[in-house]
Amino acid sequence: MLMLDSIDELLSHIKSVQVDVVELSNESLMKMSSFMEKNNLEIDEDISTALQYQDIITQQLNASIEAIDSMKKSIDMFSHAYKNDEGLAQESINKLQEKLSLTLAEAQDKKNRFSGKISASDADETIEFF
Amino acid sequence: MPLVIFVDDSETALASTRMVTNSMPIEVKQYTEAQVALAEIKAGMTPDLIITDLNMPVMNGFEFLKGLRGVPATGRTPTLMLTTETKPELKQQGKALGLTGWIVKPFNPAQLKQAITRVLRLPA
Repeated sequence: MLMLDSIDELLSHIKSVQVDVVELSNESLMKMSSFMEKNNLEIDEDISTALQYQDIITQQLNASIEAIDSMKKSIDMFSHAYKNDEGLAQESINKLQEKLSLTLAEAQDKKNRFSGKISASDADETIEFF
Repeated sequence: MPLVIFVDDSETALASTRMVTNSMPIEVKQYTEAQVALAEIKAGMTPDLIITDLNMPVMNGFEFLKGLRGVPATGRTPTLMLTTETKPELKQQGKALGLTGWIVKPFNPAQLKQAITRVLRLPA
């Protein structure tokens, strides 16, 4: 159980680092865009793409923060069940494994969904009219 | 000037679009919450074009689109989805809800300008 407590603490630490990165990254881009707007600087495709990468980075990190929250919840549930009845340990481990696998699948799906054109090599057309 | 509204929960995404549209002959309003934009539309705001993100907390882009279609003034207002999503089934869902087009992030600034110009029929 001590091992799970350590994993839980490690997950909390990773989440806290990611939250800080999201905040700093947002602040950095807002300062940059504010400077550009104040000085009426035109942006070209490269600069526009660079600015939009920040948004994608934020979405990716937020998705992995959600995955961490889900893992922590599953670990908490397992720990609670184990502490109440060690006889149920094997059943609880199976449930924990199922939940962690589900969390991983959801996180991988979001990684693809939130990457936009970066991961969709077939998305040649930026704009599609219906 | 035609009114274009942008809806995206990301302030930085809105800043990126603002830098593209600030030289265009349009009035722009931006919202980080779709439900706030919808409330203003229900209160009488009549945009000529709506550009919205899909994945947003509280009210997502599809829910927003359904809300727009339920308001007589925006029942047929051109609406573009600006999102990282590329799944064909989501595009089909948007099309069925009366979406005008789908723009994948990161967008090309020249193409975004062209899309706005085309939909609003502005002089090229």
